Parts: sequence; structure tokens; C-alpha cells
Amino acid sequence: MDYPMADNTPSASLTQVETPIEYARMKGALLKDIRRSAYVYRVDCGGCNGCEIEIFAAITPLFDAERFGIKVVASPRHADILLYTGAMTRAMRAPALRAYEAAPDPKIVVSYGACGCSGGIFHDLYCVWGGTDKAVPVDVYIPGCPPTPAATIYGFAVALGLLGQKLKATTHIEADGEAAPISHPDIPYNLRVILEREARRMAGYRQGRDIAEQFLSLLDTPANSPVTERIARFLQQESDPRKAEIFARLQSIFTEAVSGGLR
Amino acid sequence: MFKLLKEVFRTGEATVKYPFAPLEVSKDFRGKPEHDAERCIACAACAVACPPNAIGIETDIEAATRAWVISYGRCIFCGRCEEVCPTGAIRLSTEFELAVTSKEDLTRRAVFKLAPCVSCGRPFAPAKEVAYVTALLAAAGGIEGDIERTRLLVATCPDCKRRHDATQVMNIGVAQMETR
Repeated sequence: MDYPMADNTPSASLTQVETPIEYARMKGALLKDIRRSAYVYRVDCGGCNGCEIEIFAAITPLFDAERFGIKVVASPRHADILLYTGAMTRAMRAPALRAYEAAPDPKIVVSYGACGCSGGIFHDLYCVWGGTDKAVPVDVYIPGCPPTPAATIYGFAVALGLLGQKLKATTHIEADGEAAPISHPDIPYNLRVILEREARRMAGYRQGRDIAEQFLSLLDTPANSPVTERIARFLQQESDPRKAEIFARLQSIFTEAVSGGLR
Repeated sequence: MFKLLKEVFRTGEATVKYPFAPLEVSKDFRGKPEHDAERCIACAACAVACPPNAIGIETDIEAATRAWVISYGRCIFCGRCEEVCPTGAIRLSTEFELAVTSKEDLTRRAVFKLAPCVSCGRPFAPAKEVAYVTALLAAAGGIEGDIERTRLLVATCPDCKRRHDATQVMNIGVAQMETR
């Protein structure tokens, strides 16, 4: 959430960086000129270094950002793109501004990672400003904690104007008569809960929910053959022994429930 | 030289084709949390679980609405929201191309209506949540088998419930004092 800033919050009183009036046109010209050679200077403003690791993963041979001419340089004076990571700690604001001033105009500022975009998990700490845009004007936000190398390359492509952004702000308004469906209403609620809990205990919340869902839909589908037969047929096609074991366990719970062993 | 070339050809090209071809990611990749507003009952379990407060709930009593808001910019893709969601309305997708040029595009809102309390008429909980809980309890036979009483109980706000309880306790208390 990005609540509108109250006037008494510390970062509201920060002086904002002023940009020349013709900045947009200058940036357009820069983007046209640097298309095949973008020099990136990386500024760590209090990140955990996860973002840095992913940036370096993005320039390894596997993802090879250098094939697009993206090169990490050692000085902001060589940079076309400034890459800010971290939640912008109190102490790093002045160095961040120095790096910004040192880079030749026009420059593109990329905010990298959840911390850079909005302060991330550190957003309400006393010692952070909460995001790159509190100190310098940002052109592109790359969210992720950390962004994967592929997300990094996509972010740079957006920054260089090679790819368009996919994400758009959306608002859903509840329609009249909208109701959340109850999944498998024909199976008793208690049995559903016990089956899903057991599956989640054995396989973790994500796979557990998926496996429980599969099991319940097997129970739920109307068919001529008895449930045990259907489950056996399903297990024959299943090659994963772990899933077979979980299914066997769920089946034993189910048979116990059917024979009245469950309250 | 020949050996080296042989090695080079044996290894092949390691670099992925992305972004010219779609990148193959694991099916359990933790990408953008996809919110299915149809299934969502605005119970705020995800907002409570969210470690960086990327998911928030804004309740507007005047307009009788409750908005569910996520900022993908603050999300750390931990999947806690998916873990706690009672209806399976939120699930982490394999979508990772989230870079945007304006911060506003990192948000998603879903606005839900609040149901009025049957006793005092003030809006107190999302209508979908009340309907969902009523349906679940009705399917289980209702509280002490009384489905109509269950419906009324679920649709009563906590303040009114407290007042009703206090009234009942008071009546019992007076009766006991008289017999003592």
C-alpha cells in the first residue's frame, strides 16, 4: 500500500531532486542513442545483498545481460542507468544523491527489488526512508524479493523501451449477487477439513492443498465405480510414490470416516 | 585446439533465449500473487499474515465498503497469503514480468460491500464473508440445528452480540439474586 504521505512524516520534509524542464525529451534522445550500449552503475542503499546477487546472476553466461549491451561499470560518471537497491537508509540518502548528481544528465534511474520500490519488508523501520523514490526520481520499478535474473532483464528492457510493461493497476468492484463458492459442498465440512489438514501436514501448504483438492474431486465426481476403485485407478497412473503415499493416507482417513470412526 | 572446439560443441549454448522466447519456470515458482476477487471474502487473513504489509484492508464505514489492496512493489513473494486463504482466492502464479514505469501500476484493489448488522443496522463485516460463513454453518446443520438462529447470529455485529449477552446475563443475575 502506498498511503498518501502525511505532512508530519519525516520523508515529507525531504527536498526533492529538481530535474531540468526538457528532461523527458533528453531522456528520449538518450534511449535512442544507447539502445545497444547501456552502462549501469549499481548503488546499494541498505539492501540485504540478495538483489546484488541476482544482478550478478543476470550478467553471468546463463542470462548474459551483456548481449544486450548492458554493462556494469565502476563509476557513476560512466553510467547511463543508475540501479538503486535497498530501502534507502537514513545514512545512505546523501551518498545516493551524490551518485545521482555524479552521473551525467540525462540518466535513467531504476529502482530494484521490493525494498527499492517501496521499502519492502523494512518500510516502517525508523532508520529507512522507504524506497528509492523518496530520494531521487525513479523511471522504472522492478519488484521482487529479489527479482530473478529474468525479471531483471525484463526490467532493463522496459527501462530501455524495448518491451512494454505488462502490469496495470486494476480495480475490482464487487458485483451484485457475487458470492464465494464453497468447494465440494456435498462432502461433510469436518471431513474436508481433516483431509486437507492431513495433506498439508504431509506435503506443505501448496502441494497439500492441490493434493487434497484432487482427492476431494475424485470423491465428488459421480461415477459408477466405487471410490476405492477410482482412487486405485488414479494411483496406477501416478508415478510419484510420495503422492501415492499421501493418497493412501487420505483414503484411510476417508474409509475411517465412512465406517463411522470419525466424529 | 580441436579438443577445445569439441568441448565447445559438446557443451552447446548455455544462455537462455529469454526475452526472445518465454522462460520456462518451475510450476511452483513464486511469482505475482494472483487474486481471484470472485472467491475472495475479504476476511483479511492475508492482510494479517503478510510480513511486509503489502496487502492491506481499508474499511470505509460511511460508504459501507471494504477494499482489499495489494502493492506488488512491497510484496516479498513469500506465499503466506496463499497459505492462510480459507477460500483459495489468492495463489502465487508463475508471472514474474512485473517491472513498471509508474508506481500506481503496482497496485490492485478489490472493493467489497459491507453487510449491515441485523440488530443495529450498522455495516460491520463484508457481505460475502457473512454469506460464506452462513452457508458453511448451514451445510453443517447450523448451531444446535437451528439454521435461522445461526443466520441471525452470524449477521449480528460484535457490539450487539455483547449487548445481548449482557442483557441475558443481567436477567439471569436478577433472578438468582431474588432466590438467594
